[in-house]
Amino acid sequence: VDAELLEVRNATYGAFVELGRAPSAEEVAVATDRTSAEVEAVWRELHRAHALVLNPATNEIRMANPFSAVPTAYRVQSAGRWWYGNCAWDALGICAALHTDGRIETSCPDCGEAIAFDVRGQRPDDQRLLFHCLVPAAHWWDDIAFA
Amino acid sequence: MNLFRSEEHVLRWLGRRDPGATITVVKLSELAHAWWSDRLAADWRPHAREQNQAILDELGLTGDFWRLP
Repeated sequence: VDAELLEVRNATYGAFVELGRAPSAEEVAVATDRTSAEVEAVWRELHRAHALVLNPATNEIRMANPFSAVPTAYRVQSAGRWWYGNCAWDALGICAALHTDGRIETSCPDCGEAIAFDVRGQRPDDQRLLFHCLVPAAHWWDDIAFA
Repeated sequence: MNLFRSEEHVLRWLGRRDPGATITVVKLSELAHAWWSDRLAADWRPHAREQNQAILDELGLTGDFWRLP
């Protein structure tokens, strides 16, 4: 893997966790001694490689999986902050990526009732819940925001 | 990729759509930790397709539905 891609990618993820939100290209540019245009060019390569997801209209970060840059139905409290996961899998992935316990809040897509549970030692404390994945693995990246 | 209160809620939400795959939240947590735990590591490298497929296979998530492209 190209060293430049890795450096920008790691700086982007590092800034996301430090700031508690998606960094701007300017912020990553300062951290990596590059121009914003250079950072955006690397982001586009990372987007093509499925290493992060850009908003196609703005070239800003939409997902640094498992983190979402925008509010979603999956809120995660972990490492002293609230985060958004892109989906249920990513919500648990935030605890995994941060190597911490956490609390996940969402609602049942069928009935709308609130769902909240803690993750301790990698185990959810409400083990009755079910995860349904509608899209087969072969098509997850056809439309990652939908999947 | 959603969480539901029970199988009854999954089926009602699906309506006439073909179901995908349902696993327990415990299995999902195992999957998430296997899949994402290296994401912030300084020595992170992209997972190869085979690496990700092995994660799914080791958790028993096999068959056409879980076959990566």
